[in-house]
Amino acid sequence: MEIQLTVNDDPTTATVGPDDDLATVLRRNGYTGVKCGCDGGVCGASKVFVDGEVVMACGVDASEADGADVRTIAALGTQDDLHPIQAAFVDHFAVQCGFCIPGMIIEAESLLAENPDPTEAEVREAIDDNRCRCTGYQKPVEAILDAADRMDGGRVAADGGARPDEEGETHE
Amino acid sequence: MSDDRTDPAPDGGTASQPATDEREAFEEHPLEWDEPANNDKAPEERDSVSQPAEKYDDRKLVTGQAKYTADYGERFPDLAHAAVVRSEVPHGRVTDVDTDAAEAMDDVHAVLTPWSEAVPDAKYTSAGQSYPEPSPWDMNVLNEHVRYVGDPVAAVAAEDPDTAAAAADAVDVEYEEHDHVVDPEEAFDADAPQLFAESEVENGIVGHDYERNRMAHIDGEVGDVEAALARDDVHVHETEWETIRQSHAQIEKHTTLAYTDEDDRQVVITSTQVPNHTRRQLAHLFDVPIRDIRVKKPRVGGGFGGKQAMVVEPIPMALSLATDRPVMYEASREEEFGAMRSRHPMQVRARTAVTDDGDIAAMELYALSNTGAYGSHGMTVAGNVGSKPMPLYSKVPNVRFEADIVHTNTPQTGAMRGYGAPQGTLALEGHLDEVARDLGLDPVEFRREHYMEVGDLDEIAGMMGGEGAERRIRSCGLDECVERGKEAIGWDDVDQPDEDGRHRGIGMALSAQGTGVAGDELGAAQIMMNEDGSFHLQVGGVDIGTGADTAFIQIAAEVLGCDEDDVVVKSSDTDNTPFDYGAYASSTTYISGMAVKKAAEDAKERILDWASRMLDEPVENLETADGEVYSEATGDSVTLEDVGYESVYGHDDREHILGKGTHSTEESPPPFAAQFADVTVDEETGEFEVNKLVVAVDCGVAINPGMAEGQVEGANHMSYEMAVSEGITVDGDGRAEVSDFDEYGLPSASETPPIESILVETHEPTGPFGAKSVAEVPTNTVPPAISNAVREAVGVRINEMPITAEKIRAKLDEE
Ligand code: FES
Ligand code: FES
Repeated sequence: MEIQLTVNDDPTTATVGPDDDLATVLRRNGYTGVKCGCDGGVCGASKVFVDGEVVMACGVDASEADGADVRTIAALGTQDDLHPIQAAFVDHFAVQCGFCIPGMIIEAESLLAENPDPTEAEVREAIDDNRCRCTGYQKPVEAILDAADRMDGGRVAADGGARPDEEGETHE
Repeated sequence: MSDDRTDPAPDGGTASQPATDEREAFEEHPLEWDEPANNDKAPEERDSVSQPAEKYDDRKLVTGQAKYTADYGERFPDLAHAAVVRSEVPHGRVTDVDTDAAEAMDDVHAVLTPWSEAVPDAKYTSAGQSYPEPSPWDMNVLNEHVRYVGDPVAAVAAEDPDTAAAAADAVDVEYEEHDHVVDPEEAFDADAPQLFAESEVENGIVGHDYERNRMAHIDGEVGDVEAALARDDVHVHETEWETIRQSHAQIEKHTTLAYTDEDDRQVVITSTQVPNHTRRQLAHLFDVPIRDIRVKKPRVGGGFGGKQAMVVEPIPMALSLATDRPVMYEASREEEFGAMRSRHPMQVRARTAVTDDGDIAAMELYALSNTGAYGSHGMTVAGNVGSKPMPLYSKVPNVRFEADIVHTNTPQTGAMRGYGAPQGTLALEGHLDEVARDLGLDPVEFRREHYMEVGDLDEIAGMMGGEGAERRIRSCGLDECVERGKEAIGWDDVDQPDEDGRHRGIGMALSAQGTGVAGDELGAAQIMMNEDGSFHLQVGGVDIGTGADTAFIQIAAEVLGCDEDDVVVKSSDTDNTPFDYGAYASSTTYISGMAVKKAAEDAKERILDWASRMLDEPVENLETADGEVYSEATGDSVTLEDVGYESVYGHDDREHILGKGTHSTEESPPPFAAQFADVTVDEETGEFEVNKLVVAVDCGVAINPGMAEGQVEGANHMSYEMAVSEGITVDGDGRAEVSDFDEYGLPSASETPPIESILVETHEPTGPFGAKSVAEVPTNTVPPAISNAVREAVGVRINEMPITAEKIRAKLDEE
């Protein structure tokens, strides 16, 4: 069957088989920033926003996502204009192989939108279902806490300075 | 401690007069090292290597743009997907494979069995090691004689992964079942089922005895341990230890994409640590000239030794040859736990002979290693159980190590970060702690009396010959590691909790590793200058997420005096990059990095030559920095860009500036670590919390300290898991009982204690700019440190990993 999705603001028509999950469909359509590290809902690598909520895309039936608004890691920042969370991960050496990182950054973005000034325990709790084998969690947690400072409850430029909220966009 | 250097030496002379062989050893392993001046820069003179340069691929990684093997699929419209049929019996012979139903399915392109023409029947080992491999050739791509639940027996290629999985399910395999054995001690029994007939193995390993399921036996000795154990002024202490079957649990599963390219060459894009070894092994299996195979490594989502092996590559290659299509195989997470590789579970016995005042007269380890169904990395990993941790105590005069490596009908083991050292470190560091307590000695001071220092000749590393041969210690920051670690954990000032029945204790452990394999490694690099003054660095060294490519860029930039952004790195593609043994044995920065340094120096020599003509200044006056070549005498300069253009477009003469470097060495200097663990234990329930881990590491000069710290923390995180998780448990049929991360118990962010890493810098004259390795040594130390901390807190000793509340409570109840 065919489904309609809005992926990172682009209207997309995708052909899906009966057993396809959303992660597979997104990847098949070129959104390979969505990673698959397990076969179902226990590593967090495939996290995306669906209608504003963080979900593990591998656990979502693609046919049920018809009409959904999906945002992947590609919606956050570009290499030249990193989102503050991405910039903090880079600056803190919180990335080794990077396979777990898109999912972890998506979760961090959702956390900071709801709780702009989290404690360390709250950050650890938020990324509890994001498995990272390489870096462990020390540097990612430090990066997320630093990103919270950089964003300071609002939007900031990629260089970490404040950015006027001119177009009124939000990050999720 | 008494100074036993005045004791009679075993040869009857006195050890205080240097014996002839000691003098010879000094000549062979001099303390002075002929180090080039440019290698020993003061920290403030290091423009690049000691800076926290941004990881060169980080922007791609954090934006999801980086390409791992699976992401290449979209480039192949006719891509087929593979699935593997795996043995359901622990031991037996495949008598029939019925492929009819699978072949009849729509969109199934091929079904292969052990007897298919496209499937090689040559024996091989999956271990990605030097050549000839120090591992037995004991497996086939698809096995007729199956030896564990999970052994591959058939493979299919289909239009999409779901169809491939369904077709694999439809393959019907009949077995003649044999008796099986899963316990390593039972495997030794005379009436235990035998896994291998001698004739089923090529390249047999020293000490093999297949009638007893023994794949190898190794031993080595320095001095005379028996004589020391028999002395009447010593106590003999003995303890036994057991470790888990730990999974690499890389988040990216084993993934390979194989196809035939437009030049009829076999291309394998694969998530590997060993592209060159994989190319050689594929050539052997498929009987294709090495030159006709190209192995290309994209971004890799973690390796940790699990990809220091040709684990899955032959299957998609066989399917691609059979179907004439590109084929991708991505293992499932269940296969990762049950059919890929794991750390060898071991039982290790430690024995020492110690005098009343704490002088260690002899030290011995014996390891029984369960290598599972096949022998890859079995002998070499077991060797490192002794040859990595024991040299830490180089002052002990009599040392012996022995190991038996046995087969059982359980999943395959292999290389894993630490490579035997974690098992040996648990035994040795737990044991010495216990001995210190028995003698009423401070555990740190007790160790300090015996541990290595600069100038020591380490004979223990050479005790088993070959790998890790004797070496002179030229850098050692153990004292500083211990002091800074103690300070950071608060060793001297431990408050007890207010609640009744809760006790806090701090435990510590030391560790040493190696840096590369002495005499058995090679790295190569070449660098070419572009006309705009930038560089292309081609290096065989393999970045599996550690940041190696960035370290290579920094080393090149340090030599060339250019910005890191002016170096483009191309690594690990056997068609386009020079040879390299691969990412293992903590060798990447040390061996491949040195090759990069040499290549950059070679190129720099040509650059200075050109600049000398352009500036009309002798080469001796010239130096490079900040993208320029300048004269120290006149202050005149030309930019690297000027040199680049002039060299290729010059009027009188032209040259493409190319540098090459190749590095191999007999050296393998140890990095050191001091680990501290702070725990609180409830004496009623045995419940415990690890409040904090501190690990201080002497890695020589840290190339990119931020990255090095990340390596230390990641390694300690993995070591923590080895102390507190069950690992991959197996049932009575040897079947892995773990199929996902939750069952496996990979600690999550809120389950992991804070980890503080401390880099203690020394200068290792044999390494690039003074560097030695950093990424393995902190993988060894958390299990003994926590065991020691629990002992300190509530007085009970846990010898068997994992450390659990139940085990602590059981021991407390015994008291
Ligand atoms: S792949 Fe979706 S959570 Fe692991
Ligand atoms: S960085 Fe490799 S899994 Fe997290």
